[in-house]
Amino acid sequence: MNRQELQALAGKAKGKHEQFKHKICVCCGASCISSGSEEVLKKLQEEIKTRGLENEVEVIPSGCMGPCNQGPLMKYLPEQTIYQKVDCNNITAIVQSQLIEKKPIEELLLFADSREKPFVNSNEDPFFKRQMKIALKDCGDINPENIEDYLAAGGYRALEKAFFLLSPEEVIAEVKQSRMRGRGGAGYPTGLKWETVYKYVSDQKYVICNGDEGDPGAFMDRSVLEGNPHRVLEGMVIAGYAVGSSKGYAYIRGEYPLAIKRFELAIKQATKLGLLGKNILGSNFSFDIEVRIGAGAFVCGEETALIASIEGKRGTPRPRPPFPAEAGLWGKPTLINNVETFAGIAPIITNGGEWYSETGTPKSAGTKVFALAGKIKYSGLIEVPMGTTLREIVFDIGGGVQNGGDFKAAQTGGPSGGCIPAEHLDVKMDYESLISLGSIMGSGGLIIMDKSSDMVDVARYFMEFCMDESCGKCVPCRVGTKMMHDLLQKICDNKGTQIDLDRLEELAVYVKETSLCGLGASAPNPLLSTLRHFRKEYENRIMNHQ
Amino acid sequence: MNTIPITINDKKLDVDPAKTILEVCRENDIEILTMCHLKGIIDIGACRLCLVEIEGINKLLSACTTKVAANMVVKTSTERIKKYQRITAELFFAERNHVCSVCVANGKCELQQLGYKVEMDHIRYPHLFPHCEVDTSHPWYVMDHNRCIMCTRCVRVCNEVEGAHNWDVMNRGHQVRIISDFNTPWGESITCTSCGKCLHACPTGAIWPKAIVQGQLEKKPEIISELMEKRKMKL
Repeated sequence: MNRQELQALAGKAKGKHEQFKHKICVCCGASCISSGSEEVLKKLQEEIKTRGLENEVEVIPSGCMGPCNQGPLMKYLPEQTIYQKVDCNNITAIVQSQLIEKKPIEELLLFADSREKPFVNSNEDPFFKRQMKIALKDCGDINPENIEDYLAAGGYRALEKAFFLLSPEEVIAEVKQSRMRGRGGAGYPTGLKWETVYKYVSDQKYVICNGDEGDPGAFMDRSVLEGNPHRVLEGMVIAGYAVGSSKGYAYIRGEYPLAIKRFELAIKQATKLGLLGKNILGSNFSFDIEVRIGAGAFVCGEETALIASIEGKRGTPRPRPPFPAEAGLWGKPTLINNVETFAGIAPIITNGGEWYSETGTPKSAGTKVFALAGKIKYSGLIEVPMGTTLREIVFDIGGGVQNGGDFKAAQTGGPSGGCIPAEHLDVKMDYESLISLGSIMGSGGLIIMDKSSDMVDVARYFMEFCMDESCGKCVPCRVGTKMMHDLLQKICDNKGTQIDLDRLEELAVYVKETSLCGLGASAPNPLLSTLRHFRKEYENRIMNHQ
Repeated sequence: MNTIPITINDKKLDVDPAKTILEVCRENDIEILTMCHLKGIIDIGACRLCLVEIEGINKLLSACTTKVAANMVVKTSTERIKKYQRITAELFFAERNHVCSVCVANGKCELQQLGYKVEMDHIRYPHLFPHCEVDTSHPWYVMDHNRCIMCTRCVRVCNEVEGAHNWDVMNRGHQVRIISDFNTPWGESITCTSCGKCLHACPTGAIWPKAIVQGQLEKKPEIISELMEKRKMKL
């Protein structure tokens, strides 16, 4: 397929959608499927058919809409009306009143059970109103298993623009100008990384998409891959074009079967249309993507361990330098970015780097997807501009703590991050502010805790996670995390002493500074941050055994 | 030969840019402690004993895997590094069941030497006392996991020098173990050539020949290095 044919196909797909007066999206993300959305979808399709509305109403399975604990969710477009916890028994009633009588059933609307008056237009609901969707745009509005849906929504236009209007240097310049930083956690400037890989001369370079999301409570990458796989794919192809690579790997963890299935389908569809493979869109650029499935090791999210895993070796990290940009997969220059980073590329190319950099804070541009979990009223997937305060996220978007409880702490960055106490609720969620509080942005897991959480036990839990997930290669991480875990367990069992606490602190700094990779270097973070903000709880355990 | 200037512990040196910090230090009699390093096989930076401070880099880097660069300023024995070396040594001893007095390698053990070098008078961390097997199934050799420090020198020697790849690593974290083939008794290995290189590569008394007693073990890790030198010259 060439450029003109792509435009024609996109126009045709768009026209097809415009024939319909209404569109109903039933969320078929992993979370909603587990609460029965597939049956809802089937029932809804039957209902529309029996009523003879199939030429007026389009029914599609979509990706994640956000408020995951209210599923299965069903969205009516263009009204933007969302129904929550839909079951097969109330579909007839909803279709009757929403489509025929044009009167939404209030008690079935999203958040009807907790808001005084639910919003008919979900975009007016505070949960959505405060959000800004760039990476998640279209996720929840299109059918992730249909490339035409993505094309109709403007998909692959960025790829077309990059190929025919921009040189690789100009693509990199746009990404640099966007000031986007890697969304995997470390926050390395994306444009700079691309430029570094671009500059190395090699017969072969690789592009890797890191979809080995392993933080407990995090599901950003899963939702993006499930809800809009073509967006990630498009980002990878653009990256390949920019750095001069012809081969990409998408490393997705085995625990995400649906994401793998949909991404593989996306590859198949894109290849069929000539958006992947040889001479993409008639240009002289060729690019292939292969999916590699992770086998359940958290450490394989670390870039060098991930590369070893793709090479078929034991997934253990190796010391850097040399960085993957210089010597990565099979010793060749390799660009490795997170799923969410790739999902942000197409909008940057379409709208320009400057447009992206206008959102967020001076040092952290753009938006960030967070997976809200824990003791929060409305959990789920959100995307907010960088610099949004924690208070806004927890209280405005998330509706506050569950059952009217008191906020105690928010855990960011999973086992590599730290806890933010209530006195820092006004912290801006960006890379620097979180680091200054002893936490990290991480990949976007955000776990809210109320007064019932014991912070020593929280530190013990995360240490146990790191102890189990340590690859065992270097001494500080292999033995240090075990020692720290045992000491934390001792304190949790009210058998700890002041000496144990001193040893713990010494070990924490030692493991942080001497570990080989990021897993070990950040494993003490939950411990150090709880010690910093909740030291009293440790002392109480030791002195008063409570 | 092109050389580049670097400074190690206030000592100005002109060195070959292809070398690692560790190689340069060894050539210039600057002591760097190592455990997983064995000249001739690929370095992996796992023991973290050779960490050095480099000006302008906020992380400690392993000397064995970091190449020298022009005008690099390296410090190898600051108080911080000494402190961390001592903790590493203590963690090595606390991890498995090291009892020098009954060990074949007593007096010739690199781990024991490390203890002396970092002045480890006692171990401040609780011993983990894990349950470890002793594999005596091989007709000539013994593998005692109680004394293994997971430096993986045996794994690398077997793979890179002998080309047999009998040894590998299983499990994760503190439960990692060296395995023969797919975790079968060493004596039943179909890949082991009984060459004995792993015996010499092992820094402790974890791999040793049968029919010797306490303190009698003779290890010559340098034969691996010499062998690899000779091979290089042939090429």
